[in-house]
Amino acid sequence: MMNNLQRIRPPVFPVEKVVIPEAKSFRLNNGVPVYLIEAGTEDIMRLEFIFKAGQVKEYLPLLASTCNMMLSEGSQNYSSEELNRSLDYYGVFLNQTAEKDSAGIVLFFLNKHIEKVLELSREILFRPVFPEAELNSLMKKRLHWHMVNREKVQNLAIDQFFESLFGKNHPYGYQIREQDFENITPSLLSDFHTKYYTPENMAVIISGKIHNKTAELLNSYIGNIGSNENNNEASVNFINGEKLKKVHINKSGTVQNAIRIGSATINKKHPDYPGLKILDSILGGYFGSRLMKNIREEKGYTYSISSSISSLDIAGYKVISTEVGQKNYQKAIDEIYSEIMLLQNVPVKKEEMAVVRNYMSGEMVRMFDGPFALAESFRSAWEFGLDNSYYYRLAEKIKTIDPDEIIELARTYYNIDDLYEITVGSE
Amino acid sequence: MINYKRFSLENGLRVLVHEDKSTPLIAMNILYDVGSRDENPAMTGLAHLFEHLMFGGSLNIPDYDTPLQLVGGENNAFTNNDITNYYLTIPSENIETGFWLESDRMLELDFSQKNLDTQRNVVIEEFNQRYLNQPYGDAILKLRPLAYKVHPYRWPTIGMDMAHIKNTDLEQVKSFFFSHYAPNNAILALTGNIGYDLAFQLSRKWFGPIEKRTIQSRNLHAEPEQTEERILTIERDVPSTALYKVWHIGPRNGKDFYTLDLITDLLAGGESGRLYTKLVRGKKLFSEINAYLTADIDPGLIIVQGKLMKGVDIQQADESVNEVINGLQSENEIKDEMEKVKNKFESSTVFSNTSILNKAANLSFFELLGEPGLINNEVDAYRNVSHGMVIEALERYFNPTNCSTINYISTRKKK
Repeated sequence: MMNNLQRIRPPVFPVEKVVIPEAKSFRLNNGVPVYLIEAGTEDIMRLEFIFKAGQVKEYLPLLASTCNMMLSEGSQNYSSEELNRSLDYYGVFLNQTAEKDSAGIVLFFLNKHIEKVLELSREILFRPVFPEAELNSLMKKRLHWHMVNREKVQNLAIDQFFESLFGKNHPYGYQIREQDFENITPSLLSDFHTKYYTPENMAVIISGKIHNKTAELLNSYIGNIGSNENNNEASVNFINGEKLKKVHINKSGTVQNAIRIGSATINKKHPDYPGLKILDSILGGYFGSRLMKNIREEKGYTYSISSSISSLDIAGYKVISTEVGQKNYQKAIDEIYSEIMLLQNVPVKKEEMAVVRNYMSGEMVRMFDGPFALAESFRSAWEFGLDNSYYYRLAEKIKTIDPDEIIELARTYYNIDDLYEITVGSE
Repeated sequence: MINYKRFSLENGLRVLVHEDKSTPLIAMNILYDVGSRDENPAMTGLAHLFEHLMFGGSLNIPDYDTPLQLVGGENNAFTNNDITNYYLTIPSENIETGFWLESDRMLELDFSQKNLDTQRNVVIEEFNQRYLNQPYGDAILKLRPLAYKVHPYRWPTIGMDMAHIKNTDLEQVKSFFFSHYAPNNAILALTGNIGYDLAFQLSRKWFGPIEKRTIQSRNLHAEPEQTEERILTIERDVPSTALYKVWHIGPRNGKDFYTLDLITDLLAGGESGRLYTKLVRGKKLFSEINAYLTADIDPGLIIVQGKLMKGVDIQQADESVNEVINGLQSENEIKDEMEKVKNKFESSTVFSNTSILNKAANLSFFELLGEPGLINNEVDAYRNVSHGMVIEALERYFNPTNCSTINYISTRKKK
């Protein structure tokens, strides 16, 4: 029976050119920009309100994240319990996020509940009251979470990594200390909220099977929100990394050490970024990457190792992350550097280029598959003032980049002397 | 409504197809009916180790990942107590490469000593990373043997002892493959941009020639009824004390599965769940608390786990959990809350089914349960739960004699 089939490898077809639907945009009566992305087959929507209200705006650690988390802890017309019960009752999923640059909320819901969702959104975003009792209880919980997180070598490592890269005094960089949890007060939150959760500071991104009354309803719930103050205080727009490139944090009793190696770099706005993204994939950005192949699949030193490159408003950063048993961790570090040096000196072979090109082309299809992925991809270009042409440039670069360019990028952006090396664990 | 068609090949492979033209991708899910419950107690962790070996090359293809990446595909896999599940997504024009890869590794693996040696190390590092190098990471390792004395659910999927992993040899690996990996022990689901005819034709072409194999029969001893409360106290250097409580429940396709699922949602579904509202927000006894079902095929567990606020007595925390659970018996407010969790279940089902990968995994698993129609009927099954059914389930399962508790005590000195 077996012999009937020649198990011949099927042909490889080039991955179809990615087509990205354009977002439609308009402004609410109060000037807030809205972007609509029509996609999907179900009557559901993803609604994101995004504000320039991230950590970079805070003058006290934890202020931005606490302000965001407290949005759903009570408003003019709802107690925190009522808000949460109501969201659950209508089957709404609410994510609150405060990142380094931006903060906001994302709601996922069935279209039939759009009006309720907008009413609750208005309460959460524009009418929070920051009750003291809820704040105290939140800060106690957060302190607990913080202490548990600081037990994990990977968290100690990434916190130190950001401090080393961006400096002890920059909101991108400073580490949270236990006493920081005592400093946040309702009036600080209210002040931060008044300054940054304003129409001038926000945008709305909507995707899914868009309800035909979306624009009208948005205007009636959000379009008349005014601003009390106009705030365009500039954030600290330069970074100053720590001098010390190698930091080891001793933590006894660990069975694995955490390793983070990387540095600040260009962000998405820079023309080299698409090329750097490809270089990063080759190094450690996917399962077939060199770090994964060498350090996990060949040597078995770790369960996982990866590299990534991310964009922030005033810089980008790249980081290689892994956890390795004590016995092999120095060897893993050496291998990481030797993989970087290989990329700086030896041209990537044609076969490997083909794999990474096609893998990344497939990734691009996945990045624009369905309403949720589309919204996230839209947002991550839009935040940098970019549009879909960024993705078309990336797609083009994936097809055309050559091995010499990879070497050039590796030499320019992966200078080993510039890399920070953070390790955490037993010595 | 998710439309799907099913067929079986002569060798016993079951195939389910759901076409969704709105995506340029296809998801391919292969479920093998083998999990850690099928392991020899002296050699646990083999099913999961095997999942790792499945990426190390097969009879005609030296490396699984590269050819898939070369056609823009991406894949992963997981193993649990019951099943080993492999999945990939791929741009539709290259789906045949998916068939080529998956059928070749069903046909026969490249059993290489080198691959086995490496993956044994990788799995041991995985064990260290997940269970030993995390605060509270070993709680689940202690919980299983406390709750189960006989049934193989008493060991975790990764294995009860890493010595078992270290001692695995190539012969054992081979024999495991031929007694569990076979078309007649697998379910293939295809969802996304693929029509029934093409799915049928390609399934026959690539999987059709693989011969049926004799599957090791499953004679698991049922877990005897627990007759007295079990309590284990562990002391660890962690920031705060934690409480774990589990109760035995019925099997996945038992008649009260959705009732129990609804109970865990009443308790811990979102910020408005009762445990959170009453014990985190209200009494401030816990900093976090959760409740969930293991959803195992054989009789599983309800797990409640929480971390205590500083200075809270564990006995008081434990009693407060029982109090909240017992509170579900009362009519007060329950009607609205039941409606709430039902709406939330419906909405989360709709959201989950926007993903072709979820649809493929669900179709395969429901087929294994013998009820592929659940993909469309789960919401009704959940909606049909009444308060009477909740009370009945509470009485049946939430008895102290059916409960195992871990008091995970923090020994850390206060500053």
